[in-house]
Amino acid sequence: MAERRVKVGGKVGLHARPAALFVQTAAEVEGEVTVAKGDSPPVSAKSVLAVMGLDVRHGDEIVINVGGDDPEAVLDRLVEIANAD
Amino acid sequence: MLSVHAPVPGTAVGLSEVSDPVFGQGMVGPGAAIEPAREPHEAIAPISGTVVKLHAHAFVIADEQGRGVLVHLGIDTVRLDGKGFEKLAEEGEQVAAGAPLIRWNPADVQEEGYSPIVPVVALDADGDVISRAVTGEVAKGEQLFQWA
Repeated sequence: MAERRVKVGGKVGLHARPAALFVQTAAEVEGEVTVAKGDSPPVSAKSVLAVMGLDVRHGDEIVINVGGDDPEAVLDRLVEIANAD
Repeated sequence: MLSVHAPVPGTAVGLSEVSDPVFGQGMVGPGAAIEPAREPHEAIAPISGTVVKLHAHAFVIADEQGRGVLVHLGIDTVRLDGKGFEKLAEEGEQVAAGAPLIRWNPADVQEEGYSPIVPVVALDADGDVISRAVTGEVAKGEQLFQWA
């Protein structure tokens, strides 16, 4: 399990497109992947409904937790998606 | 069986007709799209449930079983920053299928240089749970597809 706390740099936050990419990447992981907005309870990062429901906007802080093998590589990709425009 | 209704009037097409690959390749989920009539109208709730998200240009309704339907009014319309869209409901509200949620005019969206096509997506669903997707002319409120 590895955790990372980042400020979302993407202009639209985790809205439709980035949310879909985020979930698709998370879904490839065998272990659990969660995302939380700030200190709110974490939700499954493998659910588009859950991730969109978080309403993560530009500049919000999110906490991503990744299980499975090589979680750091997955975290790198998820952070990249959260910061892309 | 959940009946998902057309949130806008127009011509129903396959999701693959949507130029944005996130929708067109079904990355957000399976569903259908509507090439909307180019006239002002109120986009309605495609199912009964809770308004989970209500942006100016997109919304998500989820039923009590957690099945969420995303309706996106046009492609990249987040960049319009709400211009030309009027919200008619609140997040967290319980709505019945057919309840008006957003007033907009696809003709204006097109004039701003965006595609007004409306993807209607079954979130977190596998492709094979969607059936009876209609194509061609569809009236607002008519069944668009079924979600098993």
